[in-house]
Amino acid sequence: MTAAVATTRSSGRHRAPELSSFQQWRALTGRVIASQLRTHELTVALLAPAIFAIGFYLPLRFVMRVQGIDYAQFVMPIIVLQAMAFTAISAASRGAAEELNGINPRFKTMPIGPAVPLLARIGGATFRSALSLIAALFYGYLIGFRFTGGVGPAVLFVTIAMLVGTAFAMGGDAIGVLSRSPEATSQALTLPQLILGMLSTGFVPEEGFPEWIRPFARNQPISQFAHAMRELAEGTVNSAALIPALLWCLAFVVIFAPLSIWANVRRQ
Amino acid sequence: MNPETVNRGTVNPGTVNPDAVTEKMPALRTPSGGSPVIGRPRADFPTPERPATERGPRAYVVHSLLQAKRLLTKWFRDPLTMIQTVIYPSVTLLMFSVVLGRSITGATGENAVYGQVPMIALVGSVFGALASGVSLKREAQTGLLTRFYVMPTHRASGLTGRLLAEAVRMVLTTLFIVLVGFAIGFRFDQGVLPAIAFFGLPLLLGTGFATFVTALAVMAPKLPLVELLSLVCTLLMFFNSGFVPTRAYPPWLQGFVANQPMSTAIESMRGLSAGGPVQGPLTQTAIWAVALTVVFAVPAVRGYRKAAMGRD
Repeated sequence: MTAAVATTRSSGRHRAPELSSFQQWRALTGRVIASQLRTHELTVALLAPAIFAIGFYLPLRFVMRVQGIDYAQFVMPIIVLQAMAFTAISAASRGAAEELNGINPRFKTMPIGPAVPLLARIGGATFRSALSLIAALFYGYLIGFRFTGGVGPAVLFVTIAMLVGTAFAMGGDAIGVLSRSPEATSQALTLPQLILGMLSTGFVPEEGFPEWIRPFARNQPISQFAHAMRELAEGTVNSAALIPALLWCLAFVVIFAPLSIWANVRRQ
Repeated sequence: MNPETVNRGTVNPGTVNPDAVTEKMPALRTPSGGSPVIGRPRADFPTPERPATERGPRAYVVHSLLQAKRLLTKWFRDPLTMIQTVIYPSVTLLMFSVVLGRSITGATGENAVYGQVPMIALVGSVFGALASGVSLKREAQTGLLTRFYVMPTHRASGLTGRLLAEAVRMVLTTLFIVLVGFAIGFRFDQGVLPAIAFFGLPLLLGTGFATFVTALAVMAPKLPLVELLSLVCTLLMFFNSGFVPTRAYPPWLQGFVANQPMSTAIESMRGLSAGGPVQGPLTQTAIWAVALTVVFAVPAVRGYRKAAMGRD
């Protein structure tokens, strides 16, 4: 009698480990990071900013010096933002792959909080963003970029970068989960990355553009981020530069966070 | 022995006797001679009078063209390939021109578009070869290459057809880039023959690069091909004389920039469109292309055979 009760209780405990949602998130985030390590995604995250930092700095340094611009200081924000965009594209690929290969639908049948797999993927993406950001700043220091505005603005610089990275990763994940095609998604997202990245005041000042496209180049969100981050690094930031960037950050979070939650927890 | 017995003998494997089988063979060879139905209807397939040979120059040409056509059809029907070989290079060219054109032209005094059009044409060719390398790996993995290998096809047609298809794709990409270039101020100032020769350069360098990618794809199937070569290609894309002129680079880098294959091809193409020295850079490009082809041809052929025979 007693033995039977004991058996029941132990088997019950075995079948349903009572992990909190936070512990589940930790486990699944670990899984994402392990997979990023295995597929050398983190190596790419560390190397890609180097290629773009020296790839734009060395050839264009002379061209920009003619215009009186210290290009290392000028180009750093867009290198960081490019790294964030790459994180978003890889987050989209991962979202699509996990929906396609069935692990995501499988998670839905298990006793896991409905948004936990999503938050775990975002956690992995944020981890990747952070590594990429540190790497980008390291390469920036090598080519002569400096935070001359003190600690506070530097912290805000990093905060904006991470916010943008996380918001983009959520957007990417939603698009990936909805499209279910890793190749098509990453291909399709490369185009807006190229267009918004290049047609911004991140690589060249506004005067470098033909007149007809200047209003777009000046006002689109990537330019606003780049401008605010440049001013933060220099320590010359004012509210006119900072507020549009923060509002764009907020807008991206407000759009992409609910979208990714909807894409992940809806029932087909 | 009447057909009845032969029929029964074939259907029931337990009672097959050698005589019945030898009796059956003549029936198979005469499609029109009122052949008896033996077991399954496969006996009705006509045997070709003069079966096409899988050897010899004629088979080589016909089968290579067939393979090239297969790949081109596949690429044309795949939106991703089309985006990668047509849309992506065109948009990149427009971006480079709009964003950097004015700054570069202002700082160097040379019209930047004569460097950018050749550069993007070459980058398009090179990245296309990369995509094709990935598809080759997939064909090796799914066993399609092995399937072709057991059919009566010329042994060299798979590889030749692939390079032919690549060549067509490179010319088309270059054509498209030149058309976009015309919209942003690119012109052939040197006449018709140099303009035709202009298209030969992506072909020349691209074929060398495609041989290299093929060798890598079939010799080392475990290598992360795309990531690795994308890295190399991106570096070549930034450090060439088409992005900004060589003298705008730091002095210690100028030696590499001036002599890497993409720069020599770009300088030849600049000479053939805007004007300037052609012979020197053209010779250098030819040396690069021939060297790449010669060095990687044997590994490509051996690796392809290995992949087709399904041995790792």
